[in-house]
Parts: sequence; C-alpha cells; structure tokens
Amino acid sequence: MDTKYIRNFSIVAHIDHGKSTLADRMLELTGTITAREAKEQLLDDMDIERERGITIKASAVTMHYEYEGHTYMLNLIDTPGHVDFHYEVSRALAACEGALLVVDASQGVEAQTVANAYLAVETGVEIMGVINKVDLPAAQPDVVAEEIEHVLGIRKNECFAISAKTGKGVRELLDAICELLPAPAERGSEPTRALVFDSHSDPYRGVICYVRVFSGKLRVRQKMRLMHTGRSYLVTELGKFRPAMTPVEELGTGEVGYIVANIRDLADVHVGDTVTDDANPAPDPLKSYQPPMQMVFSDFYPGDNTEYSKLRAAFEKLTLNDASFTFVPQNSPALGFGFRCGFLGLLHMEIIQERLERENDIDIVQTAPTVSYEVVMSDGQVRRIGSPSELPDRTHIQELREPFVRLEIITSTESIGGIMKLAEARRCKLVKTDYLNPTRVMMEYRAPLAEIVYDFYDQIKGISRGYATMDYELTDFEATNLVRIDILVNGQPVDALSIIVHRDNAEQRGRKLILKLKKAIPRHQFEVPLQVAIGGKIIARETVKAYRKDVTAKLYGGDVTRKMKVLKKQKEGKRRMKSIGSVQIPQKAFMSILDTSD
Amino acid sequence: MSSHSAPSDDEAPGLYLHVPFCASKCGYCAFYSQPTAGRDMPRLVSALLEEAQRYQAVPAVRTIYIGGGSPTSLPADQLARLVETVASTWPNAEEFTVECNPGQANIEMLSMLACCGVNRLSFGVQSFHRSELELLGRRHSADEAVRSVRQAQDLGFTNVGIDLIFAVPGSTLDSWQRSLESAISLGMQHISAYSLSFEPGTPLYEARRLGRIDSIEEDTDRAMYELAIDLLAAAGFVQYEISNFAREGFECRHNMGCWENRPYIGIGPSAASYWRGERTANVADIDAYISRIEAGRPATEQRQQPDRDDCICETAVLNLRTRRGVNLADFQRRTGADFRKVFATPLRRHEREGLIEAGAGQVRLARRALAVADSVLCDFSSL
Repeated sequence: MDTKYIRNFSIVAHIDHGKSTLADRMLELTGTITAREAKEQLLDDMDIERERGITIKASAVTMHYEYEGHTYMLNLIDTPGHVDFHYEVSRALAACEGALLVVDASQGVEAQTVANAYLAVETGVEIMGVINKVDLPAAQPDVVAEEIEHVLGIRKNECFAISAKTGKGVRELLDAICELLPAPAERGSEPTRALVFDSHSDPYRGVICYVRVFSGKLRVRQKMRLMHTGRSYLVTELGKFRPAMTPVEELGTGEVGYIVANIRDLADVHVGDTVTDDANPAPDPLKSYQPPMQMVFSDFYPGDNTEYSKLRAAFEKLTLNDASFTFVPQNSPALGFGFRCGFLGLLHMEIIQERLERENDIDIVQTAPTVSYEVVMSDGQVRRIGSPSELPDRTHIQELREPFVRLEIITSTESIGGIMKLAEARRCKLVKTDYLNPTRVMMEYRAPLAEIVYDFYDQIKGISRGYATMDYELTDFEATNLVRIDILVNGQPVDALSIIVHRDNAEQRGRKLILKLKKAIPRHQFEVPLQVAIGGKIIARETVKAYRKDVTAKLYGGDVTRKMKVLKKQKEGKRRMKSIGSVQIPQKAFMSILDTSD
Repeated sequence: MSSHSAPSDDEAPGLYLHVPFCASKCGYCAFYSQPTAGRDMPRLVSALLEEAQRYQAVPAVRTIYIGGGSPTSLPADQLARLVETVASTWPNAEEFTVECNPGQANIEMLSMLACCGVNRLSFGVQSFHRSELELLGRRHSADEAVRSVRQAQDLGFTNVGIDLIFAVPGSTLDSWQRSLESAISLGMQHISAYSLSFEPGTPLYEARRLGRIDSIEEDTDRAMYELAIDLLAAAGFVQYEISNFAREGFECRHNMGCWENRPYIGIGPSAASYWRGERTANVADIDAYISRIEAGRPATEQRQQPDRDDCICETAVLNLRTRRGVNLADFQRRTGADFRKVFATPLRRHEREGLIEAGAGQVRLARRALAVADSVLCDFSSL
C-alpha cells in the first residue's frame, strides 16, 4: 500500500478520560467491528484490566477508512493509561507518527495528560488535542481548550470536541487523522527494518511479535533476523489485527501487524528490537528506546516453605505475558527461600500479586515494596540494590544514592497548602507552580521516589478531596543521607522488615514502625519483644504481650459443627503468616512498615 | 455409606433428651429454652417420647442423658413419665444422667429418679457466691445447692456432679478458690469448671457490649483455670477434659462418647445427633417441633454429612480436648487415617513448641496448652 494512505497513531489520555470508548467508536465507524460485536472496551482483553478499568498491554488494530475518495489504512496502537507503564506508552508512540491526546471536557487536563504529552513530544509525534465527553452536562470544552493551550501548547482552536460515547465528532476526527497526521516516510526500497513494539506468548504458536515496518517489507517464508540477539527465524505467518488476527502475505513500509516465526521463548524477543531481512540486513537497527526499568522491588515467600517450586512455576508462567517483571531467587536468613521481584511501579506490583493469587493456589507472604538504590562502593564501583538487606557494610560504602523523579501534581487552588506541607515532609522540592486557570494549579516537584511511591497519592487525594492527580517520571539517582533501620523480633533481626530512610527522620520512623508492628503481630503464648536498631544501636523497644487464654470452655454434641467452623476460621486467620523462629508474622506486618500515618 | 463411618454403625449410641424449659433464663445461657409459664408440658413430653420411639429399633444405647433447659422444671409426674419410658425402652444403658437445678429438685423428685434407674445426677450449681449467682441470673442460693446435693447423696446417688462457672465479672481468684473448696467439701464425684463465655444473643453478652459489665482480665481467668486444675487434682479429681474433672472411674461416659466422636442420638427441640454418619439438628422451636412430631414428620432441620476429611478433623479436635488425647490405634480404627501422618505439619510445630506431647500410642495437649487449646486445635480443624 502507498504509505501516503497509511496513518499510524495512538490515543493517550488520563485514566477514565475515554480512551477505550473512543477506540471502540472508531472501530465501529470504520466497520472494523459491528456495534453488536463492540463489547465494552474491546482492546482490553485481560480480566484485571477490565476490572480496574485500565489498559496494561498495548495492542494494535488496523482499520480501513474512506476519505476523499481514497481508502486509508489507520493503525491504532493502544497504550496503557497508568504511570507505572510509561515505557509501554513510549514504545507504542515509537511505532506511530501521531497521537490523539484525549482530555475529559468536565475534568480538564490532569497530571497524566501532562505526562503523556511530554512523552509524545519527546518521541516527536504529531499531537492532536481531543476534548471528549462534550455531551456531559458538566462539560466545559472552552475552559478545557484554554487549559490545553496553556499547559500543553496545543492551539485551542485546533482541538476537536467529541463525544466518544454518542459518536459525536468522531467521524470528523477520523477525517482529520487522514488530513492532518503525517504519513509514514516512503522507504520501501531500503533494507527491511521493523520495530518490535510489543509481544505476547501464545501456547500453540510461540511468541507473537507486534511490529511496525519502517523500511522495506516483511514477507511470509522470509528468513528474518532479530538484530539485538542476532538470531534468525523463518517467518511462518504475518498478519494484522482486524481486530482478530488476520493473516496477510506481506507487511509493507509504514504498516503495522504481527509476526509468527516459531520463537519459543518470550525472553528471546526484546521489545524495542529491530527485525531485518536475514539475507539483506540493514546496517543499523532502528533507534531503540530505553528498556523498562524495575523501580519497585518486593520479596515473595511461600507461606509454606515446601511450596517454593510451585511459586517459581507460577512466576515463570506470569513472565510469559509480562516481560517487564523480573524475579530472582532470594534467600532470607529470617524468611527462608523466596524470590526478589522487580516491578515498574506499585500498581504493576499489585497486578502481578493479584494474578499470582488468582491463578494459583499458593499462600504468599510478601515483603513491603522498596525502591532500588545505587551504592557507590569504596573502590568506586557502582552497584544497584533492590533490598535494604543487600546494603553492604557502611565501611564499604562511599555514597548511597536514591532515585529521584519529576513529579507533577495538578490540583485545586484550595488544596495547595496541604499538598505543599505533605510534599515538604516527604523531602520533595518544588520546582515550579503553574496556574492552569484561577482555580487549578500544576505543581512540579523534584521528589525522592521512595517517599511518593507508596501512599503519597492516597494522601494527596485525601487532602484535595479526590481532586488532585499526579504523575511522575524517573530522572536520576542522587546521593542523600540515608540509613537503614533494622527490626529485631524476639531478639532476632528480620531482614525483610528493614527499611532505608533518610537520617533526619530515621529515629522517628523507627519508633512509629514498631508501634505499627506491635499492632500487626498477633499475640503469642509468650511475650514477643520488638526492637528497632539504627546502625547496630537499639533505639526503641516494644512488647507484644502474651495471650493467656484461648479455649472454648464447652464443647458437647450439639456444638461440634459450629465449633469446627469457628476453629477453621481461626486457622484461616493464620494463613499468610511467616514463622520467624517461633514467632508468626502476618503479611500485614510486613506491609505496616510502610505506613507512615499516626 | 462411606467406609469411614462404618465403625460407628454397629456402635451403641449415646441418647440425649433435651427439655427446652427453664423457670427463667440464665444470663449466660445460649442453649435453646423457653420459660415454663403457660406451656403444655404433657404435650411436649409426649412429643419427646414419640420421637424417641422412632429409634426403637436401635437395640441398645450406651448412655442416656437428659439435659436442657432444665429437666427438673417439668412437673414431677411428667419427668417421671419421660424417665420411666426411656429407661424401660433401653434398660441396659451404662450411665443415665439427669441434669438438676438446685432449687427445683426436691426429695420426691430425686427419689423418683433413683427408682427409675437414673444413676448419675448433674447439678447446675455454678457458684457458691450470692453476687455471682445473681449476676448469672440463677434463681437458687448457695445453701439450696448444698442441700440438694446432700439430699441426692443421702438418697444413695453415688455419682453426683456439679457445674461451676469461673471468671464471672466481679469474682476474684480468692472467691473462686472458696467456691472450689465448697465444692470439694461436698464430696462429689464430678466437677465441671467452665470459664464464663459471652455468647452472642445472651443478656450477659449484651451487658458487656453496652459497657455495664467487663470481662475479667485474661491473666486472672488463666490463673483461675490453673487454680482449678491444681486444687482439684490435690483433692483427688482427675482432669479428663478441658473443663471436666472426676474421681477415678467417674468420668461422664455420655460426654466422653462425644469427645471420642462416637454416635449419639438427640431427641427434642434443637437437639443434635451424630447418627449413621450424619450430623443433624432438630428444629429449635417448641411449637414447630411438636407440630412436626405430631404430624409424623422428622424434626430435623439441619443436616450435614461429614466426609472423610471432616470425620478425621472432628475426631482429632474432639479427642484432643480430652486428657487422654488421641489414641492412635482408636483413631486409625475410627477414621481409617494415620493421625501422625495426616497432621504431620501441625504436630511438628506444636511438639517443638511443647504444646503437644506424645506418649506410647497417644498424643495429647500439654498442660500448658490447655488454657490456649483453641490456638492449637484450630490447626487440626482442616486438612
């Protein structure tokens, strides 16, 4: 197909601003699916995604649309809508020439809108502003257009006012996509280069690579090469998502589709890699983007040590469809054998955790998530650690660095004070404040990731009565004055309860921490002393009192069934606990160390 | 019928009859009972006997136990009719117990029971302190309790027991010790000592919820329990179950049957049965019960068939409540399972922590585990 009539674009939006509804409407208007087939949010095909109303994995669909007497091929590459999956947004954008930035007409520009716009600008795609939900009574398209112009620099008179729900303005938007978005560059005669922008594993066909062809073309039965690994494969099938997988004989320059090439292992395919012709390879791969970086780490231990291999199998299964999550065996002196897992962010972690439990019957104890740190050793060597327990002895450390992010918060003007106070307490430095309009403000901070990754968002939601939105992106690692807080339970140090915090509030955090632990650890038949140590020095102590009485006085014939139920429930309450010596520590105790509230 | 319940089929069951009447309801009691006022007692007794007749084909029962409620709240002639009929239907029960309320069981009633073959009496004394008896909602006095027990002994009953309740709000370790000493001095064969439990739906539960009374400190409760074990042991009472103490050979066989997970048949409103591998419970309403029985229908309302795993767990939990514990051979015979094997994980942990001790062919709770038995037993409640 003539690249002149191809348009590759993504839709980016803040959560719930109507991205998926718009995609559905486009699929319908282009006849790609019928209204009857249009299940709600067709592009999100995992249960958890649908339940949480977010898109996790990018997917792509090819539509045909008549405009001014020509048939255009529109390739819509879907993107995830959450901060944890930024890198997936950027890899989707890397396969496009244009992006539709969708903003809710009643909500206005949100933090994610800004973050997405930055990503689009960095990728160099053409951005079209789309104001959605103009049918809502609370819609203020003019105010929102002002905001878009002010914050994002997109001219307000160039924004499209639509209602994805009713279909209003969507046809005009499709026309504009054909009219205004750039066509892919014509590079048909150059050596083949196709960008792998996503992949998934199919139990019968192996790995399915999602590709965008930038030059040359791909043909069935061609021998292709993945430039990163240097491995070659025979292309057994090429196709497009319409939206069902539909085989084609070739994919030309500018086109988007999939490759099946008998690739066994998802790990063999690096998303961002370039596919070329094995016989006539391109001299250089396409400019790739940064591989995803795991920013949040947490240990997963089987509640019962004998289930270690079952847990491993479960993780292996999960990585088949999510290469951005990592796991390595971990042996904790206190908790035994488990896995250290790396996630893109907290939401990513929760999703993995949920899938792990839903898809497997394993009792799991998970430690509190922590960010990764950079340790500059005495010999100048730089090490990345994902657990406080991996921190080397102080005498070997020259410098300890923690990750910093650029944090954007958009909120109402009346909550500025509260949010600034919280941000200050969390060591965030205000970079700039920008009034979107007299009632809404955008604040940009330089923030330590560790301080905002856990409950920060909930807190600003609380302060702003649900109004504030935030987004962040990693910028760098910076040396700060960090110390490790250690916890001793019954005299025994528990590595999984250690945390790294800033020295200035270490003591206060430590004291708070054991109070939380005291509440979270159930009473035993003996007293359980809890101690906090900083740098080997005990700074605080609490005791979980022993329980003295726990027995049903009367159990006779009439009570058997009922009492058995009560006992089963009591046993159930012991699940998700980990034995450390003779002390049972429940899941919630590991998580309680992150709770900074009073 | 599945194999695990086979041994119980040819086993003589225990027989329990529930008399659902009380002169007044006690503050702590969660059993089903109604005030006696205005009730057609003969009609209820007829219904009980009618239901009992349905088990006529059962050739023998091991034990008979008439409880409540309060059997002695029945008019003497009705209680006599009930006891006589049951005794003549199953004349060879090893043990025949009737629960008695101290204020109600007069000498005529007691001699009637003796004549009919009742060989064990259990008096609901609960306390020897007036303030505690009042708080518990008991109508009798400590003196009446002593008198009733003495009368029974004078009439020749050689197997008499009383119930006591400790950890009553307002009680102290000292007042409890005096109650125990009073009980011991009565020279009985059996003492049940229960820590007061606040059952949802009872007046005491409500009073605590509203902050009118407080439960006693856990440490005191524990100390009272330990005191009972020690004092009673010194007086020659063997603890044979978490809350039960008896002189050698005077353990309540009827209740032992329950803890050994043997079958039993329950007669009367709300009565529970474990019979032919099924756990059932009768409707807990006197009128509904009577009308079902009179219509020739079963009084059963809940029905549950424990599977093999349930049977294994129930047997384990019930056995472990006794001081004899689990007899490994009996357990194997009753459930078809190897106790040490199916419960290897909890056994390993609790043995290591000294909460469970093993002897020759036996496994039981250690003394120190008794006060916290549920935290151990719960690990045997499912496989």
